Amino acid sequence: MKLDFEFPTNGTIKDLGIQVHTTNNRGFTPEEHAIRCAEKIVSVSSEAHPAIRAQAHAFKSQVIRAVEQTLCEAVKSDRTTIYNALNEAGHPELADLIRRL
Amino acid sequence: MAISQAMCTSFKQELLTGTHNFTTSTGDAFKLALYTSSATLGASTAAYTTTNEVTGTGYTAGGGSLTNVTPTTSGTTALTDFADLTFSTATITARGALIYNDDQSDKSVIVLDFGSDKTSTAGDFTIVFPTADASNAIIRIA
Repeated sequence: MKLDFEFPTNGTIKDLGIQVHTTNNRGFTPEEHAIRCAEKIVSVSSEAHPAIRAQAHAFKSQVIRAVEQTLCEAVKSDRTTIYNALNEAGHPELADLIRRL
Repeated sequence: MAISQAMCTSFKQELLTGTHNFTTSTGDAFKLALYTSSATLGASTAAYTTTNEVTGTGYTAGGGSLTNVTPTTSGTTALTDFADLTFSTATITARGALIYNDDQSDKSVIVLDFGSDKTSTAGDFTIVFPTADASNAIIRIA
């Protein structure tokens, strides 16, 4: 019996589907995270029936919007937590900076 | 000096001797180390090395800890995956990476070639793994 390891021995990063995403002087935005999340949840075959493909893309767009909105709320909530932690630690000015972000 | 993408030959043998356990939480701890373009990595790489490993803000020697996804099957294919890994607030440049088993004497698993230097400056450096299905998962046995 042959065990076939589906891994390109001399391929490039593209062959594996691995991606490297980087940012400069900032973190990823909720939208960027949402797009990456949707890519994991929904993959649309280029060979699918056009009607099904269109429906899948529409669903994907909905997923992106929903995830982005949730991430934005999560960021706000976390900032509230950090604001209060800084305030309680006696750093009201730092807390205010976080609140204004 | 080159980084050649490959599933390490020693890893293939070690699968047959039951060395690696990819189960979530109860399995082995796997890590991903980043390397510069000066590194020499490939199928013959048998273990983690510090030679030509990336240095910089937001990166610690040894790399980042991966989160295992318990192996599963899809049709006749067995597969496993890792959660995406981010080095936060990092100022680093990397050309490739090595996934290795931190619980099993740093034995190597996979060498990744990014194709070109990837850089983050005071930002996030994220390795995004492919969809975990029978056609795309990072490690598949078909």
